[in-house]
Amino acid sequence: MSTEPCIEFRQVSKQFGTDYAVKKLNLTINSGELFVLVGASGSGKTTTLKMINRLEDASAGDILYQGQSLATLPLRTLRLQMGYVLQQIALFPNMTVAENISLIPEMKKMTPAVITQRVSDLLNEVGLDPAVYQQRMPSDLSGGEQQRVGIIRAFAAQPQVVLMDEPFSALDPISREQLQKLTLRIHQRLKSTIVFVTHDMNEALQLGDRIGVMQGGHLVQVGTPDEIAQQPANNFVSKMFASAQTNDIYGVYLNRLKVLGYLEPLASVDQQLPVFDSNQTISEALPALQENGAIQVNDEMTLAGKLTSKQLLRFMVKFKK
Amino acid sequence: MADFWHTLVTQRGDLLTALGQHLILSVVSLLIALMIAIPLAIWVIPKPKTANVFLQIAGVLQTIPSLALLGMLIPLVGIGSVPAVISLVVYALLPIFQNTYTGLTEIDPSLEEAATAFGMTRWEKLHKVELPLAWPMILSGVRTALVMIIGTATLAALIGAGGLGTFILLGINRNNNTMTLIGALASALLAIILSFALREIKQIRLKPLLITVAIAVLGGGGFGIYKLVQPQPVSITIAGKLGSEPEILINMYRDLIEADNPNVKVTLKPNFGQTSFLFSALKSKQITLYPEFTGTVLESLVDKPKQQATSANGIYRQAKKALQQQDQLSLLPPLKYNNTYALVVTRAFAEKYHVRSISDLAKVSNQINAGFDLEFLDRTDGYKGIQKRYGLNFKTQSMSADLRYEALHEGKVNVTDGYSTDSQIRQYDLVVLKDDRHLFPTYQGAPLMRTTTAKAHPEIVRSLKRLQNKISAADMQEMNYQVNVQKKSAAKVAHHYLVAHHLLGGER
Repeated sequence: MSTEPCIEFRQVSKQFGTDYAVKKLNLTINSGELFVLVGASGSGKTTTLKMINRLEDASAGDILYQGQSLATLPLRTLRLQMGYVLQQIALFPNMTVAENISLIPEMKKMTPAVITQRVSDLLNEVGLDPAVYQQRMPSDLSGGEQQRVGIIRAFAAQPQVVLMDEPFSALDPISREQLQKLTLRIHQRLKSTIVFVTHDMNEALQLGDRIGVMQGGHLVQVGTPDEIAQQPANNFVSKMFASAQTNDIYGVYLNRLKVLGYLEPLASVDQQLPVFDSNQTISEALPALQENGAIQVNDEMTLAGKLTSKQLLRFMVKFKK
Repeated sequence: MADFWHTLVTQRGDLLTALGQHLILSVVSLLIALMIAIPLAIWVIPKPKTANVFLQIAGVLQTIPSLALLGMLIPLVGIGSVPAVISLVVYALLPIFQNTYTGLTEIDPSLEEAATAFGMTRWEKLHKVELPLAWPMILSGVRTALVMIIGTATLAALIGAGGLGTFILLGINRNNNTMTLIGALASALLAIILSFALREIKQIRLKPLLITVAIAVLGGGGFGIYKLVQPQPVSITIAGKLGSEPEILINMYRDLIEADNPNVKVTLKPNFGQTSFLFSALKSKQITLYPEFTGTVLESLVDKPKQQATSANGIYRQAKKALQQQDQLSLLPPLKYNNTYALVVTRAFAEKYHVRSISDLAKVSNQINAGFDLEFLDRTDGYKGIQKRYGLNFKTQSMSADLRYEALHEGKVNVTDGYSTDSQIRQYDLVVLKDDRHLFPTYQGAPLMRTTTAKAHPEIVRSLKRLQNKISAADMQEMNYQVNVQKKSAAKVAHHYLVAHHLLGGER
């Protein structure tokens, strides 16, 4: 991952009347990373996000995009480079699925042939058969299906940055889980910078390359998921983190243990250890762990690390409600 | 019912013309209202205060009674289609503006946010997102406006813009309920059909519709320009007041002018309105000529001469001179008949008491039970004049103009007032008493036109003069009878007269 800065906030404040929504924010989001802003409602996370594509303008301070101050960039140029996904999904109800996805590519004057191809590729990518879905109206789709379209609409013109404002909060848990995975897959393939806002620490831990925790307009901690898990900066962060604890500890995916830093690095494949995929659950891995004391975890055929019984116990103690 | 079908069949040509006028008037007004209200609503979206002011204004405009609005427009833009279209547009503004504004402001804010975030310009947002979403709401406003326009457009007939209102007014004027019914039914049907058609449009997408409208407007404009560029034959417009008699006369004018001058194209506007409408239409060059009565000129159009002439010829000359001086208008030589007030009795009454003139009534004044129109009772050239000039006094009762002939026919009264060319005189075989002391002024019909027109087109004047001193009161009664009672078309009746009196050769 490159560490070239993509978006930089320098002493940025946003005031509504006399109230500060965001106060003296300093933050650098790197190119190609999936950065999650997490916080309770009113913490300023959505305002921070909307200042990036200037749906809100900062009251003070400076925001740089690829080294250039936002104020000096033409608004349309800026916005055409930034995809946007809303909690309300907001597919245009007067347009078909294909028309919704083609909207920004058309504004960018891409050729019809390229657009048609892209629409069909993207629909395939998110598991919606183009032959079936292309000509449907948004109202004919389920919430989960709509947000799939909402996501690929944002990615359709291959933007540098995609901003996602609590995109899955209104969805049922199963759709949410599916769409989180989808987001990770698309991010891996397209390498866009993604800024993702959520109030759900679980989601933040699941998705974020790095996470920024916001409280009352301030950024209280920025770090990788395991940094946040292992060294919460203050009481608030540990509380937020506690909300990520689960009743169904055995149902947790091995991927979560990887993300939270409970896997030990493994230099090469250990033939002795049974192999599990990261999308299998703890309960599936328990018998093998009991027998061998450790397992090897793979992430779609590539080696992710080794999980020992001791590490698993550490995780369970910490995350069991 | 048979009467209904008969009227429908004989009047179908006029009905189609009126329907066409009505449709054009309504559609043109609707399109203009659309072109004003929709852009205005779009413009005020970011300014809710201004929008409120506009809504108030449109609301106030709508509360002005349509008749009053038409009346107020006459001094500003004259009569005809222009004031009719203006007032229809005024009424259509509110529903279209209100629905467009509401439709646009009630769009889900998250859709607006998405459109903004995607970098759309105001125009892109408008035509890609906002207008399509507000479209059903806008269309329902358009439908409301359309139904209202079609209803109100019936009043356009009052100011000479034609349309289905002509049938309604004519029906009221001739006491012909069938015609009124046909006019009302046709306008209701038109409203229903167009409203239904608009509901179908709701299913159609916006873009093809806009393209169709654009093509129609461009096509219409192109056709108009083509028409303007084309070399034009002389075309003149002849209008007539309400009623069968003027309609018969203007048909005669047309037949004579067109027969003598093949290059002249005559347009007729029968039932164009009341005297004052026609008079101002003539002065403002909206019509070329219309038949006026000599007596009416002196009574209502010019300052009354100090010493009014008594002979028919004298009255004509006074009227002609006054019109020329006052308005540079030419009153051509009049027809023969005198369409003035008359006292009418049944033939049986006349024979029984040997009554031939008004003076003769003195012999039987104690037998008389007269039914008079309220206005006649009160006029100095009406019953008051009879009392004074003839020294007559008898029992009178007032009754409405349309009832008195029937009352006379049924014996409820034995003397009534009327006009000397009324078709009922022929219908009930009544007797007009001679005005032997010349109480009633002379009302002779004569073509009235601008002097400039008369000088520019002596050939037209020549054709019109061929009717000089033609048509007796009996002829006119007979022709009115054929149109009003036998429901023949005025054109046919007029043509038949001209042929029968060798003013025109053979059947066309």
